[in-house]
Amino acid sequence: MNPLKNIFNLFLAPKNKSVPLFKGALNYLLVCVLIIVVFWASLSVLNITFSFGFVDLYGKRILDGFILTVQLSLVSLVISLLLGTLVAVGQRSRILPIRYLCDAYVKIIRGTPLIVQIYLFFYIIGTAWGIKNRFIAGVLILSIFEAAYIAEIIRGSFLSLDKTQLEAANSLGFTRRQTLRYVIFPQMIARTLPALTGQFANVIKDSSLLSIIAVIEMTQTMREISATTFQLFESYILLGALYLCLTLPITFVSHLFEKRFNYARKT
Amino acid sequence: MQLSKKVCLGFLIATLMVLGMGLLSACSNAANSETDKNKKTYTERETLVVAMELAYPPFETKDEAGNPAGLSVDFITAFANAYNYDVVIENTAWDGLIPSLQTELADCVISSMTITEERAEQVDFSDPYAVAQLALLVNSNSGINSIDDLNQEGKSIAVKTGSTGDVYATKNLPLATIVRLADESACVTEVVQGKVDAFIYDQLTIYRNQLNNPETTAAVFIPFQDPEHWGIAVRKGNSVLLEELNEYILISQIDGTFDRLTGKHLPSEKATFDELGFRWFFDFR
Repeated sequence: MNPLKNIFNLFLAPKNKSVPLFKGALNYLLVCVLIIVVFWASLSVLNITFSFGFVDLYGKRILDGFILTVQLSLVSLVISLLLGTLVAVGQRSRILPIRYLCDAYVKIIRGTPLIVQIYLFFYIIGTAWGIKNRFIAGVLILSIFEAAYIAEIIRGSFLSLDKTQLEAANSLGFTRRQTLRYVIFPQMIARTLPALTGQFANVIKDSSLLSIIAVIEMTQTMREISATTFQLFESYILLGALYLCLTLPITFVSHLFEKRFNYARKT
Repeated sequence: MQLSKKVCLGFLIATLMVLGMGLLSACSNAANSETDKNKKTYTERETLVVAMELAYPPFETKDEAGNPAGLSVDFITAFANAYNYDVVIENTAWDGLIPSLQTELADCVISSMTITEERAEQVDFSDPYAVAQLALLVNSNSGINSIDDLNQEGKSIAVKTGSTGDVYATKNLPLATIVRLADESACVTEVVQGKVDAFIYDQLTIYRNQLNNPETTAAVFIPFQDPEHWGIAVRKGNSVLLEELNEYILISQIDGTFDRLTGKHLPSEKATFDELGFRWFFDFR
């Protein structure tokens, strides 16, 4: 046996098979080291040194910002799930004005940057309708934005359902309600749950843009702190790490769901 | 299967080699820039990269064609001609100005930046070339007539994040709610719509926005404040450039360069400021 080959084997795995724990950990560690080395090399080129002393001083504010980001994201997720489902159903409505309204909504929201929506909503619609509270305005904007994406996820997975299933349900004498309850709904859950979980990570990241209307969430807190300490890099590195603390577990759960519900794809 | 393994292996090795080379070149770059710094002389024509936020007319702005324009642009270009530099202007967002010096993306910053102790810890400042003072833009219905009316529970004031107005409000208006926004137009909009009671910024911006919104806003001037001196920022320790800048600022004050620039960029503002008895930007006498 060639010993060289054994060593190379440590870094290889066949497709479509799970990687043994030791091998996975080793290679993941290697990747982490590579990322850190590249980052470190860039820093030494620029001759930058970091000091995170400000974390002590501003700990309370950073924590408040973190909590507000979580609150914003959670409330927005719930509202956008409801709204997104309604819109997805509306897009298949037999009443044309409703169908087109939902369609136009999804197209406009998905076709414009969130920053445009935030400014226009807050300063025009928000002011006209008396939504003064920045948190409430922020939640509403974020929910309206994310609902369009959620509607697309739901619509996409509905379209991926095999037509013959509906025909089969029909021929078995299922009512519309029964078809929905026993055929469509279980599969929809399996197909949308991983993507919807992943979308939650997007909600968290997108909430950072609400900083421009002075919702004092995590990003705004860091901007305010770096404006007084001028430690832009340290602030943003910490900010990135905090967002990862929130999004990585969600990505992990999303992958778990993907595996757990994989049976639905093997039809 | 065997083949694809080999292909994968090849990829892995190639990736590692590329990464290794990248690291090597990164290290040698670092070494190069080190020697460059040491042998910098100013006999030959050098490039001067100037960072400014082109969002503060008429000091830093863009002309119709989108090219950098304004008083600061004219001033730094005249400086560069006098000292044999080729000017490259980098339009940079406010938050990125000081970091652009630290990361060597720019050689100096002239962006109506007030000299403060906190900033002076990060960069070196030239002698002041202009002086500015703060003022308030208040909503007409807010009932605010002086800065003291603002320092109360339930009153709110918009500031541009990190501006000297932000520093002033944080220090002097502890009872008011401070709303920190990313740009001036958002701050003005908040005042016009009554979302906040006031916006604190420099006198010129306040005066202009009040002219734009005569019905909904009023300008309130703040007595007894320390004047804010604007300086040109350079990277810490860049004394060659700093001395050249200081020399040129002094010459410009004596030979009337700043008066000429005023005549070109701010004639009506100068007249109004004189009328109201406000101190002019370049008035150091």
